[in-house]
Amino acid sequence: MTEPKRILVAMSGGVDSSVAAALLHEAGYDLIGVTLHLWDAEGAHQVGRCCAPEDRDDARRTCEHLGVPHYVLDERDAFREHVVDPFVADYLAGRTPIPCVSCNRTVKLTHLADVAERFGASHIATGHYARLERSSDGRLRLLRGRDADKDQSYFLFGLPQSTLERLVFPLGELTKPEVRKAGHRLGVPNADKPDSQELCFVPDGRVGDFIARQGLESKPGRILDSDGAIVGRHQGVGNFTRGQRRGLGLGGGEARYVLRIMSATDDVVVGHEEELYDQQLVAKDAHWVAGRPADTFEGEIRIRYRHRGAVGDITPTRDGFEVRFAEPQRAITPGQAAVVYRGDEVIGGGFIA
Amino acid sequence: MIYLDHHAAAPTPEVVRQAMADASSIAWANPSSTHRAGQASRQLLENARELIGQSIGAAPADVVLTGGGTEACNLGVRGLAKKRRIITTAVEHPAVAESVRHLARDGREVLVLPVLAGRPPAPSELAPHLSDDSLVTVQWVNHETGTLFPVHDYAQLCRARGARLFVDATQALGKVPIDVSSLGADAVAFAAQKIGGPAGAGACWVRRGIELDTVLAGGSQERGRRPGTLDTLSMVGFGAAASLIGLRLERKTIIAALRNRLEARLLALGAVPNAGEPRSATVCNVSFPRWEGAILVAALDLEGVCVSTGAACSSGLQEPSAVIRAMYPDEQWRAGSAVRISLGIETTEQDIESATLVFQQVLSRIKGRNLHQI
Repeated sequence: MTEPKRILVAMSGGVDSSVAAALLHEAGYDLIGVTLHLWDAEGAHQVGRCCAPEDRDDARRTCEHLGVPHYVLDERDAFREHVVDPFVADYLAGRTPIPCVSCNRTVKLTHLADVAERFGASHIATGHYARLERSSDGRLRLLRGRDADKDQSYFLFGLPQSTLERLVFPLGELTKPEVRKAGHRLGVPNADKPDSQELCFVPDGRVGDFIARQGLESKPGRILDSDGAIVGRHQGVGNFTRGQRRGLGLGGGEARYVLRIMSATDDVVVGHEEELYDQQLVAKDAHWVAGRPADTFEGEIRIRYRHRGAVGDITPTRDGFEVRFAEPQRAITPGQAAVVYRGDEVIGGGFIA
Repeated sequence: MIYLDHHAAAPTPEVVRQAMADASSIAWANPSSTHRAGQASRQLLENARELIGQSIGAAPADVVLTGGGTEACNLGVRGLAKKRRIITTAVEHPAVAESVRHLARDGREVLVLPVLAGRPPAPSELAPHLSDDSLVTVQWVNHETGTLFPVHDYAQLCRARGARLFVDATQALGKVPIDVSSLGADAVAFAAQKIGGPAGAGACWVRRGIELDTVLAGGSQERGRRPGTLDTLSMVGFGAAASLIGLRLERKTIIAALRNRLEARLLALGAVPNAGEPRSATVCNVSFPRWEGAILVAALDLEGVCVSTGAACSSGLQEPSAVIRAMYPDEQWRAGSAVRISLGIETTEQDIESATLVFQQVLSRIKGRNLHQI
């Protein structure tokens, strides 16, 4: 890798990207701060959320503190097209999408790779907790961040080698407490800012309300038990995800969980917790970070971001892969990413069918 | 740094800074106060009003001072609107366009004339729409392309038909000779920022005898037309800047030559020109295929060249140009790829040479890419 001289830093206004910028600045790089404006917050949701004006101001303040230029780029159209619209469509189809994966791939990092080239910058830095390592065949391998609790490699499996080649993760070797400490040491203005939400454009986590705000009619439907008996009614499938227990409105009695969402009929099927366990999954639209493995191999699979990972056999298929877990897994949820690891390395990932 | 964004704000000349520095120990006092401190401030304010009036051919009493160009435009448009039907163009500055939209929301009828490819409406195209209950509101010089509107011809028509005319001259001041006494408009708006004065100073000339509604509620300053204590210090800056307008106009041919040279170089580098003559000598607006304007502006800034995509926004976010979009409705790519390069009296030949090299360097970074890759 040639020594990066000018680096574009993707700055959300959060602590992580601010500290990433401060660390690179300390190391003597020529930085350009870029904040992507992805979404206009709605009404009462304008405060304390991604892309709110105060986040842009935080990013700007950090850049002013470091004495580096800062630009805001408007990516609202691309964000709606590539992230929000597919997200809403997925929910209405009964899946539980993970928009951060496609956001990183299309709107954020791949786009910023193009911007970096236009800015004469050789690299892009982000505040992701992940690491990159070059293997002997010349390809880059994507590794978990050192901080197991904050590791964000799960969201990055979709990046092509051409994008990885331009990336720098200054926080990859650090833990969150170390990052905050570095923030204080370097005088980063927002070092004590709380961590941001996982889903930036639905800060309150109420997806059903978000979908309603997009002007899409959520169709009410039936709640059925596994035998097909009607046990209740609901206001729209967007309010549910597999494994969910709360918010079903089924009253007291034994605990029941969402097992399936039948988007064709708008039915939600509920049942007992033990019915949530499966020992296999099928993933589509796979991306293999450093090439597609030829045969079945053993690895560790994470089926959602906050999943510790479970051992299983992975068999690549034409455009995806199949997993047979050693132990049954709870609530394998269509739409979420299944990301395959071997040790610390992200081998690849796909979307649960 | 090479500053080529004079249409956003012109640098403050030394004499203007000096005038403001000299005034600062007096200008704090409220010019409406009875006592001698207030009187001293009032004297500075009235001197400034006189200088501003002189620069536009107006009697000082007809100059309503405001807190900037946007306020002056609001006062002109909304102050003259009454119950009139509004006739405007598709490329007005937001200060006018939003004022008109505000009136439209109140149920006022609005006619928007197109300015396709930068061609201003001919007087004959305006004439059929005029009557004694219309208000024509039009800019003199377009802020993004420099397009010149035949405001004298419009004024003649308006007078003949008994229609009211508001002219937004914020971008025209210092770029074209202005004599409001012979123009024939009913109100004309100006901003100090475009001639090297402070951003918080503007003026609205109102023809004597014209009844103007106020936009703000408050005291009876400015003969009841603009409430609120005026910022004497800013007005001193405006006045000093206004006294230099003659110098700006004298430099017009030199600026035009520099602009033409820069434009020829940019066209050779693949730029597509937006809007042609008639236009102000101070600006060149071009679109670069395969570039987003906002990204090109940032890339140039990193190399020390200051230009813009058009109207600036406080959030730092640059939207595709509404002016270019309106001028080229069938070529939407132009608006997203447009860059405005505007020159002033400080611009040198060396600036143009250096800026050309920077453009060349930045544009070459994506050489060899396909046309469809933006």
